[in-house]
Amino acid sequence: MHLYKTIKNFLLDKDYFINIFETQIHIYGFLEVLCLQEEEASFQFENFMLQVKGQNFRVLKLTRNEVLIQGKIKEMTFL
Amino acid sequence: MMKNYCLVEIDCMNQERFLKSCQTIGIDIYHMEYQNEKWIITIQEEDIPKLKRIFYIHYKVIGYKGIRQIRKNIQKNKIFLVCVLLSLCVLYFLSHLILSVEVIHSSKEIRTLILNELEERQIAKYHFKKSFKELEQIKEEIIKKNPTIIEWMEIENVGMKVKVRVEERKLQKETNPKEACHVIAKKEGIIKSLSYSKGEALVSRNDFVKKGDILISGIIHKEEEEKNVVCATGSVQAEVWYKVSLSYPMNYEENKRTGKKRKNIKIQNNRINSFLFKSRIQTYEEENQFLFEIFDTKIYLTTQYEIIKEKKTYTEEEALKRLDSMIEEKFSTMLQEKEKILSKKVLKKEENNGIMNVEVFVSVLEDISMTQEFQRIKGDEDGDAF
Repeated sequence: MHLYKTIKNFLLDKDYFINIFETQIHIYGFLEVLCLQEEEASFQFENFMLQVKGQNFRVLKLTRNEVLIQGKIKEMTFL
Repeated sequence: MMKNYCLVEIDCMNQERFLKSCQTIGIDIYHMEYQNEKWIITIQEEDIPKLKRIFYIHYKVIGYKGIRQIRKNIQKNKIFLVCVLLSLCVLYFLSHLILSVEVIHSSKEIRTLILNELEERQIAKYHFKKSFKELEQIKEEIIKKNPTIIEWMEIENVGMKVKVRVEERKLQKETNPKEACHVIAKKEGIIKSLSYSKGEALVSRNDFVKKGDILISGIIHKEEEEKNVVCATGSVQAEVWYKVSLSYPMNYEENKRTGKKRKNIKIQNNRINSFLFKSRIQTYEEENQFLFEIFDTKIYLTTQYEIIKEKKTYTEEEALKRLDSMIEEKFSTMLQEKEKILSKKVLKKEENNGIMNVEVFVSVLEDISMTQEFQRIKGDEDGDAF
């Protein structure tokens, strides 16, 4: 397990990252989920807040600091 | 270590609240989908007790992933898996078992000797097969043990059978060379060719000789004086005559196919033939196509052709042809290499109750030489007394 964590830390050396695909958004490194609704999702990061707006949002994967959302993404705002 | 994952069905009205709760409690959701108005989530097995803390949901574990699921599948299909394992074991066992040992040689003594030698070395019926290396070693051991009997041998595994090919060692018997001998005629005839390596020829081409006449003499003369005595060797080809009496029926039966045919499966075990289906044709000819062999039993696909036996009579031409072939057949066993039939002549021919009786005069080119020893009488100057 120690080895796995070391490799993961080496590969994911950033505090956070946001990957946007055509119908999915992958967010890593958030601190808290503020809102998770069908048309809106917002996450609290260390220095800012991310607000994603769209349609038919569905959570595919959710862990303590990582989320994968499927749906049509229309707008992203950093607050 | 491999983690165990569970599929959990969640009945919850507020998805956002549930997801936030999961985040707060520390439940990682690895997959999530909406089915029949319920959420199906994939979480770690150790996180299931944590779900009790979310009081506003109803949950039900509906399946597993990982080692637990593999174990469950094995448990579910254990009879099938045991059967597969057992059949593999049986297959392995059968493919390494000897059901028969076949020694290919005409001599019964050699066959028995080889079978006993092989049995001593655990190559016998209902024993396990040996590897190629072991077979080579056994082969060498047997050859070394019987150097005067076995020239060469080969052991091979063919299916469930062990085939052994043996070549017998033929030792040439030491023969005492004859001191003095003539080559004489064993039959009467007209000399056609003569060849000799030792001795003195007393006859020439087209000479008529009687049985017992000296053809090649063992006494060598020089200017009418006896010089040396040897064992005459040579061969003399002469035309000899035979009178042959033959009788054969003028009527014969010929099989004619009617065109009707049936397919069947033929099972041959130890030369005993049996058919899988009852044969509906009474008289038939069959053509066999080999399919496969199992446990010394051969399986053939047989086509049975219905036949009718037709009675026929030979014409004179056919009868003469048959006569020729009968004479050829009769002499073929008797004649050796370079010997042949020169001519045939029918002496007498009569038909009696459908049977033809024929007397034939046959002239044959044949080796008539035969070695005969003789002893010299002391004091006899001519030295040809024997």
